[in-house]
Amino acid sequence: MRWFELISRIDRRIIYLLLTIFVILPFFIPLKISQNIMYQTKKLFDFIEDIQPNDKAVIISIDYTPQTQPECHPMALALLKHCFRRHIPVLGVSFDPQGPGLAVEAFAMVANEINREATNHQDSIIYGEDYVYLGWKSGRIAAIIQMGESIKDVFPRDYFRNLIDSFPLTQRIRNYKDVAIAIIVAGAAYSDEWVMYAQPRYGIRVGAGVTAVMAPEYYPYLQVGQFSGMLSGMKGAAEYEKLIFDHGYTKVPGKAGTGMDSQSMVHLLIIVFILLGNIGYFFTRRKR
Amino acid sequence: MSHDPWLWIGAFLTISIFSFLYKDNPVYKFAEHLFVGVANGYYIALYWHNSLKPNLFEPLSAGQFIYFVPFLLGLLYFTRFIPRISWLVRIPIGFMIGWGAGVSIPATFQAHILKQLEGTIVTPESFVNPITGIWALIIILGVICTIIYFFFSKEHKGIFGFGSRVGIIFIMIGFGASFGYTVMARVSLLIGRIQFLFGPWLGLIK
Repeated sequence: MRWFELISRIDRRIIYLLLTIFVILPFFIPLKISQNIMYQTKKLFDFIEDIQPNDKAVIISIDYTPQTQPECHPMALALLKHCFRRHIPVLGVSFDPQGPGLAVEAFAMVANEINREATNHQDSIIYGEDYVYLGWKSGRIAAIIQMGESIKDVFPRDYFRNLIDSFPLTQRIRNYKDVAIAIIVAGAAYSDEWVMYAQPRYGIRVGAGVTAVMAPEYYPYLQVGQFSGMLSGMKGAAEYEKLIFDHGYTKVPGKAGTGMDSQSMVHLLIIVFILLGNIGYFFTRRKR
Repeated sequence: MSHDPWLWIGAFLTISIFSFLYKDNPVYKFAEHLFVGVANGYYIALYWHNSLKPNLFEPLSAGQFIYFVPFLLGLLYFTRFIPRISWLVRIPIGFMIGWGAGVSIPATFQAHILKQLEGTIVTPESFVNPITGIWALIIILGVICTIIYFFFSKEHKGIFGFGSRVGIIFIMIGFGASFGYTVMARVSLLIGRIQFLFGPWLGLIK
């Protein structure tokens, strides 16, 4: 077998093995490749920075599933840390049936992290005062539209079956007029519905955290201002983590940031494989 | 190394699924079937506790008999299994299509067509900053040439053919960006699993 035939027919198992090695290595030998912040990430960060503390709420719709958790979960954690540290009230919702478990974990994780460092009531994150998780609702289009009139009509009870009128936060936040932005962290096209049904009717600002596969589809939304910022895949999450770290909102770097070294290494490997495949194909064709 | 049995189960299932990369095997099949079963059980429980019970059966048992209307409409879907009255399924389907079309047609026009058209309009303000001006021109060129490529009622020759070829370049750049992002997404999933295996399970990384 000639060399060019050999590089055209590399066993896929060798490719998988090399991919795995290239993913694992940077965890033990960190490359510390610096992250450039893309403008859509900065835009979302700046939007949240401009919200007055203890005033309007941020809706975070947790609509990702365990399959897309590595990309979306760090986004949700970083967004929650940012909001909680700035004392911006958060309403959590889910329209994906697999969202609630991950949402409850994300809220608890961030609230516990902040409460461990809190020295008084004001520094603490209290359920019902600083955030409420409303849970999952089927029929999301109708729910998204109706929430513009009354959140209570759609979610009379929170995820834990408490009446939402029993919380100071949800007594104050009644509909989209009391909401600064809805950020949809999703592994599927859930943010479309907010842009289609909630934004034109109620003028609510929409931000998105999407998987990398979905990101190219959503750039037009960003360009015309339908999105007030967007986090694209693990890179977007890593950038947001870096922004909140640099601004002192967290003391620990996030998981997405540590994964980006592996991401860069694997991209280099894939580029090498694409080149090898093309060179092999070119010489094989010339031989014929 | 973790002592949590749930982490061990998670690690075992992860490795079982990855074993397919070598070749199909019974351990992979077991993990796959287990996932399908668990997912079904989860969805049934979730829909019962969060949708059917609070939104239908509780209001019904509280005497709100108007809920019989959606209940009946929902039940009509099951008439598909009874050939003699299967035509009744058209009622809920017609209701859903009517509602869906009424809600989504104006919203789609507004959000996906009119608003996107706004983004292609070049105004004098576009050139306040020369860079944004150049991008505005590239966007309108890309939109027009891509539409020309998908216009099949006229032969792609002459200036029309040139526009079509430029359209292909824009489409290919779009495909390239999508491919790059897709690679990033898939690698992210692998990174997530490796972080789980080497982090919470084996305790080798923080």
